[in-house]
Amino acid sequence: MTVFALIIINKAGGLIYNRTFHEGGLNKLSTNDYLVLAGTFHGVHAITTRLNPVKIERPSTAASSGPGGAPILTRPDPPSGLEVLESENFRLQCFTTLTGTKFLLFTDTTQANISVIMGRVYEMYSDYVMKNPFYQLEMPIRCDMFDRKLSSHIREINNK
Amino acid sequence: MVIYSFYIFDRHTECIYSKSWIPPSEMPQPPPSTAPPPPPGTSHNDPKTTALPDRTRSSQKHPRSAQTKASDDAKLIFGTVFSLRNMVRKLGGDDDAFISYRTAQYKLHYYETASCLRYVMLTDTTAPSMRNVLHQIYINLWVEYVVKNPLSPVEHKGGVGVRNELFELGLDQFVRGLN
Repeated sequence: MTVFALIIINKAGGLIYNRTFHEGGLNKLSTNDYLVLAGTFHGVHAITTRLNPVKIERPSTAASSGPGGAPILTRPDPPSGLEVLESENFRLQCFTTLTGTKFLLFTDTTQANISVIMGRVYEMYSDYVMKNPFYQLEMPIRCDMFDRKLSSHIREINNK
Repeated sequence: MVIYSFYIFDRHTECIYSKSWIPPSEMPQPPPSTAPPPPPGTSHNDPKTTALPDRTRSSQKHPRSAQTKASDDAKLIFGTVFSLRNMVRKLGGDDDAFISYRTAQYKLHYYETASCLRYVMLTDTTAPSMRNVLHQIYINLWVEYVVKNPLSPVEHKGGVGVRNELFELGLDQFVRGLN
């Protein structure tokens, strides 16, 4: 049960946060390689949404009707992109926020409850990055509080 | 478990075999074309348009015929697995191998042989790991019916030698037996 690393990609495909929690899990890359990786992943993620082989079922509007009896027109969820990637040595969970920011969590293949960890990371991002008045949107994240809370939370999981 | 489609790519990145088990009625609708049609009259005198080969013109008339869509999909799938495989090998080391990815709608399984043949299978999201299935297809169908076929060429350019009856039949039976 180990969380290897966290990468945050902004909606334009730029790398805004990159942190390794466990040495030896993943290869060490240069900063440039991480930037390339973030951009590549952003593109691949967009392609994977287009590869959807089946038609998305439209929910029947007759079943749900509003208070006045008028049917509520629901829009089907847009096809989602890559969510989990598995390889022999690691597992990558990708969480896309509604605004298009992507959180990439690299764990070992046996890690359970990744979505819970992801939810906690997103919560910390909202609390310590988004509420930081000095943080500029879409720019690299340099927030001490976020760094500190994140490492203490992940350390707890890795030491379990 | 539902299997949607299956692709084989050779080491020259070409799609040498593809098969879909989705009935045409359940295929996703192509998005409506947003580009306005060219104004009439301009194309008649334009030498560049008249010089276009027949294939291009007919594909413009039917913007996304089933065949173009299938070949476009194969190219997109190859691009995706190629990028992800490189990404995985960069992060996990050279001995690491990309196995599968999942979205909310489908799951893609990947298997690569030592000779750089790439097997890709698209299934629904509940499917377990299909790595051994792809390996079985390689051993029991590819090697038996394509590699051991004396009439089959070494390189399957354009899918020559792959689409033989035994391979097609064996694959269809094998996949239908999985469901």
